[in-house]
Amino acid sequence: MSNLEDDFKLDALLSQQQQTRLLELLGTLGGASVELADNAEEASNQLEFNLDTLGWLRTELPAIQSEAAARLFELILFYAGKYRLAANLHHDVTEASYIELQQKHAALLASEARYKTLSEQLQQQVEKQVKVIEQTQHQLYESARLRAVGQLAAGVAHEINTPIGFIGSNLRVADDYLDEIEASLSDNVDPALLLDDFRALLGESKSGVKRIASIVADLRTFANIDQADFATCDLNALLMTTCHLLQAEHNHTLPIELRLGELPKLAGYPAKLSQAFYNILDNAAKALNEGGRIQVESRLHDGALEVYIEDNGCGMSEDILLRVFEPFFTTRSVGAGSGLGLSVTRDILVAHQGEVRLYSRLGQGTRVTLRFQTG
Amino acid sequence: MANYYAIENKLVLKIVYYGPALSGKTTNLMQLHTLLMPQRKGELMVLETRDDRTLFFDMLPIGLRSEKGLDLRLKLYTVPGQVQHDSTRKAVLSRADGVIFIADSQLSQQDNNAIAFDNLASNLQKVGLDIENLPLVVQFNKRDLPSAVDETILQTRWATTPWAPITLASALKGHGVVKSFQQLLSRLYPAVDSEFSLAANHAIGFQTFVDRLSAVNEASDE
Ligand SMILES: Nc1nc2c(ncn2[C@@H]2O[C@H](COP(=O)(O)OP(=O)(O)OP(=O)(O)O)[C@@H](O)[C@H]2O)c(=O)[nH]1
Ligand SMILES: [Mg+2]
Repeated sequence: MSNLEDDFKLDALLSQQQQTRLLELLGTLGGASVELADNAEEASNQLEFNLDTLGWLRTELPAIQSEAAARLFELILFYAGKYRLAANLHHDVTEASYIELQQKHAALLASEARYKTLSEQLQQQVEKQVKVIEQTQHQLYESARLRAVGQLAAGVAHEINTPIGFIGSNLRVADDYLDEIEASLSDNVDPALLLDDFRALLGESKSGVKRIASIVADLRTFANIDQADFATCDLNALLMTTCHLLQAEHNHTLPIELRLGELPKLAGYPAKLSQAFYNILDNAAKALNEGGRIQVESRLHDGALEVYIEDNGCGMSEDILLRVFEPFFTTRSVGAGSGLGLSVTRDILVAHQGEVRLYSRLGQGTRVTLRFQTG
Repeated sequence: MANYYAIENKLVLKIVYYGPALSGKTTNLMQLHTLLMPQRKGELMVLETRDDRTLFFDMLPIGLRSEKGLDLRLKLYTVPGQVQHDSTRKAVLSRADGVIFIADSQLSQQDNNAIAFDNLASNLQKVGLDIENLPLVVQFNKRDLPSAVDETILQTRWATTPWAPITLASALKGHGVVKSFQQLLSRLYPAVDSEFSLAANHAIGFQTFVDRLSAVNEASDE
């Protein structure tokens, strides 16, 4: 607000040109020359503006006219001054408002930038949290499943193993008894038929026991009961084990064709790999229609271990195919599946430097390819 | 802030009439122009009005020349009271040496008085002035109106503030205008004296300062 306080000089109120013109006009009116003087001595009339003396007027006129010329000059200065003051004030106010506006603008920009970084950070945090949640859910799913399978396996193994033991030995002893009985009944009429039947019966029982024993062995492998977490895995053995288990679940009605080629051992987590195979085979079994079949093949190809699991079941449409790897995506009714099967499978493959590929046609079937890089 | 120009031995002080719209600031200044007979008095400058409402400001310069040659000037300004002219108000208020707050005595205007006083406080802060230390007089104008709030009520209300007692005026009739101005001069003198040693260096004592700057026409009824 410095301008408002300023006391003006004559030149600030009237330009040189205007001053000359005014003096000429006053001179014409009075009929004698009128001039400006720099100090009081040379002239009689001073020119005041707001109590400040801005100059002196020198005339050849009679005193009363000279006085009138000075007052007229002052009147014009007064109005020029009013304009100047108003203009200065307007300028200052506008400038102050502009500066204020600029400051507000700068503050606004700063806060906008602040909010932007804040929202970016939030976004990142949300993404991180979502990842953590997904991971935790996978782990939960896996550990729950493994725990269930493990418990099942341990229980089954314990329950079945003891009776298998004594059933097996009992049967052997019974077999021996039969020989003795046969000898003692040598002259009896046609006991041979009876005994043959009896033997066949026992033979079948023994093979049943063998089968139970093999299921127990499969379960042990599947649940990784006997092995350390990380081990050298025989993919073919794991595939067979998993197929056996699935068959056990389906009363041995699944038409699974196994064509397993020679494979090198793979370092990995056997229980997890079994889980991956199981998830795919389980899907294939569920997709099968009457008269369908599942083909399982393994081979070494271009330095990679490849496993194909193919079914000629219902297949998937393209939009479903696009989403099958999403966690919790499922086409089955609520409660029938967790929707984590394929996403867990993919994670397991990734953990083994492997990859999953899915090829499917609606109504024609699905082929899943699992590739593990060796070395 | 007061400006001292050493070459000319000139001291310029700025007094601002502040207050709500239509409270009578311009009327106060016009009356002072008529009533005051200080040693020196300039033209009353009324800058731009619309319907008699101030748009920029009014200004009246008065002054005296001391025996020792000090050219003492007082520039009396009014601000526009209407709410929308706040930037102008702030600009006029800046560097003030003293403020006379013109309040409207009418009962209906008490809220406006309070709002305008808050506005004065906040604008003083914005232009870097401290309301506690600024010479300030509060005048309740329009005492002639029947709806004017009772004097004792007003005095009591302001009694606990640093600005008591308030002055009463009817600017329209010329009453109380000079008295309010004198009260401001008496509150202004100590501040100016302590900064510019008016008494010691210029032989201007308190009484001289007040009397000579607020001298009135004998004919006046103040
Ligand atoms: N009755 C009465 N009316 C008054 C008094 N003082 C001023 N007025 C009237 O109030 C109206 C406003 O007076 P102004 O002096 O223009 O008010 P202001 O404070 O300058 O108003 P703004 O410039 O808009 O801020 C005018 O009509 C005055 O005549 C008074 O003491 N009594
Ligand atoms: Mg006004």
